[in-house]
Amino acid sequence: MIRHLFTLMWNRKRANGLLLLEIVLAFVVLFAVGSVAVYNWTNYRAPLGFTYEQVWEVDMSPGNQPRREQFATLQRVLQRVRSMPGVVGVARHSENTPFSFNDSSTEFQVKDGTDKLKVGAEFYHVGPELRDVMSLRLVAGRWFDRRDEAAGRRKPVVITELMQASLFPKGRASAVGQTLVDNDQDAYEVVGIISSYRAQGELAEPYPAVLAYVGPQDSAHAWTSPMVRVQPGSGAALEKRLGEEIRAVSGGWVSSVTSLPDQRLTQLKFRLTPPAIMAVICVFLLVNVALGLFGVLWLNINQRRGELGVRRAMGAPAGAISWQVVGELLVLTTFGLLLGLLLAVQFPLLGVFDVAPGVYGLAMLLATGILYVLAIGCAFYPSRLAAAIQPAVALREE
Amino acid sequence: MLLSYLKIAWKVLMRRKFFAFISLFGVSFTLMILLVVMALFDHLVGPSTPIKRVDRMLFVNTIRHQMAEGNGWMNMPASIHFVDDYVRKLKTPEKVGIITASSNATAFTKSKLLPLDLSYTDGDFWQIMDFDFLGGRAFTSTEVQAAQHVCVLNEATARGYFGTTDVVGRTIEIDLKRYRVAGVVRNVSAGHLYAYADVWVPYTLSPQYYKDNRIEGEFLVVMLAPSAAAVPAVREEYRQMMRRVEIPNPKDVKALFSYADPMLAGFTRELLNYQDRTVDNDNITSFYLVVGGLALLFMLLPALNLVNLNVTRILERSGEIGVRKAFGATGRDLVGQFLVENVVLALVGGLLGLGLAAGALALLNQAHTVAYAHFALSWRVFGWGMVLTLLFGLMSGVYPAWKMSRLNPVVALRGR
Repeated sequence: MIRHLFTLMWNRKRANGLLLLEIVLAFVVLFAVGSVAVYNWTNYRAPLGFTYEQVWEVDMSPGNQPRREQFATLQRVLQRVRSMPGVVGVARHSENTPFSFNDSSTEFQVKDGTDKLKVGAEFYHVGPELRDVMSLRLVAGRWFDRRDEAAGRRKPVVITELMQASLFPKGRASAVGQTLVDNDQDAYEVVGIISSYRAQGELAEPYPAVLAYVGPQDSAHAWTSPMVRVQPGSGAALEKRLGEEIRAVSGGWVSSVTSLPDQRLTQLKFRLTPPAIMAVICVFLLVNVALGLFGVLWLNINQRRGELGVRRAMGAPAGAISWQVVGELLVLTTFGLLLGLLLAVQFPLLGVFDVAPGVYGLAMLLATGILYVLAIGCAFYPSRLAAAIQPAVALREE
Repeated sequence: MLLSYLKIAWKVLMRRKFFAFISLFGVSFTLMILLVVMALFDHLVGPSTPIKRVDRMLFVNTIRHQMAEGNGWMNMPASIHFVDDYVRKLKTPEKVGIITASSNATAFTKSKLLPLDLSYTDGDFWQIMDFDFLGGRAFTSTEVQAAQHVCVLNEATARGYFGTTDVVGRTIEIDLKRYRVAGVVRNVSAGHLYAYADVWVPYTLSPQYYKDNRIEGEFLVVMLAPSAAAVPAVREEYRQMMRRVEIPNPKDVKALFSYADPMLAGFTRELLNYQDRTVDNDNITSFYLVVGGLALLFMLLPALNLVNLNVTRILERSGEIGVRKAFGATGRDLVGQFLVENVVLALVGGLLGLGLAAGALALLNQAHTVAYAHFALSWRVFGWGMVLTLLFGLMSGVYPAWKMSRLNPVVALRGR
């Protein structure tokens, strides 16, 4: 039966060749869009490691206040904001705040480690209150506390589980208690491990992160963008009061408040626009291909009425005729798929983009599935049409 | 002859409505997407208010510092020292203006906080750009030199702060500084990177206005050539000038690279920078190649679809073809006829696509994707759309036409 299908199709190889090319192209398009979709989806599924509801980011700018007065002012501002009703907690944070488009990455390696592995990580400077403000989840060691205030220690840091896994890929040792050094040979002591801190947002690829301690007297880091946890239901009134209080207590600092849920939506919109455009174009191309395949099959059935009529007259059941039409398209689709896969497999093999091979694998599966569904969908109506041919009518026409 | 071809084309198109729909759907949506992309592109780099004389303008985005001892690169816009002591001394440009990329600022009205985008410019900038003034005027070079607190507002800011656009001479307070409003202009799209802001103020008020001899700063340079033909001469003089620029800190910086580019070339130089950065190549050829290739690839699938459909439909018309051949029509006649039919189909689809594109752009405008942007189909885009339509018609028509012309008349006439 299958061999027979092949013979039938070989006889019409010129016309089928063009259809085949179309299927290959459709597969390539599906694969490209599928890869983007799978990539974004896997990123989206990975846990963020913090909560963003009821958290606001306050951006402050000291204006033209002289440098030496600024730190004292900052402390006054923070103290005032902490004491405001409606504010639950305030934590200093470096400018690469969650869902902002700022990032700052640095390479670290374990001092006296055996591997001498250099690991790139997002580097944040945060106050000790951040754990409560953003509900970070500690998995090992401890969070920053009063002990870290003591001067002269190596700078304490907390790392994420992904950082731990990247520093010790074989999983033998724990990073807690180890010393990390960056490219400038500054040393940091790991005091704890949190589950994750993906401040770059849900759609960014999970990346190791290191959070460095900013003590109350630290005047070098995390100046202008404290994170504020507010009581549920706080809105514009509190926002306005925050701005006014900061202005009043600082003598003229300008501030603006962004709520993290808003910031997150802005970022999602920005990151999702290109894939969404791709998806729309892909859907259009697929509809186009589907309509085209459908039209070609339909015309083919009309032109092959004689052949199909003879088969019916010789006793082939209606089901066999439908199956022939569907089968022909499926064989063609399979050929197109094989060619398309041959192209697609180059991506993980050559490592064109720095993406996990699993993403490509899933995208291939997805594209294959959609293409088969599309083919069966297109062939369904023409196959019914073919099965309904009355042998007597078809043969009289001839 | 052509008229009868057109008549036949119309009859064939109307004979089977479903297939006409499939063909038109493919053609019109393909062209719609291409037209929307082109309209966005045109908005970004084409002439439009206030960058009307774009064909005479040259831009300097960045000065690339090649750091010493393999410390990589630092890319920064220019400083005032660089602009005043080098760029303004060039002989070929008619005018040299500067503007900073917009930075955030805040103004407080009685009831709310007004976030603004603020840019610093000089007096010449206003003569290079053609802003639509609703009232008042731009600030002048004298006012800039005297560091007067004057500003130009866009319409939205004037309305947001004062409630009206008739505000020339009044005072606005931004980031605790007070400025006198010199003029109000129509809103400028955020897509015009070299002109966009809500508020423009003299650069002499900028905190980045350093008077030392550093090269790196925050100023984008816009030059106006006396004519479009003089643009290459200005580029060349700028190139010569870069060889003379003195590096203030030769211990850290090995060499400086900077180019005066037309709008598009400036973008492509940054965007497609894959080779050695010391090589002077604005990559505009590779940009057109890549974009052209992508557009062709995108048109390939719908075109192929149409080819398949057309090839299958040839047999439908075997009777007609057989008769024409029997009466002496050559293969070339038939190819011509079929191509005309297909191009007509493409043109109808193209017009539909134009309508769809206008609708899609209206949706984009309504969604305020880019602040104050008004995307529209220009005659330039329309012309390109027609070229693409023809290309599409030929792409999808040549093979079926050739196939049709080879049909054997005897077989064709016997067939049906």
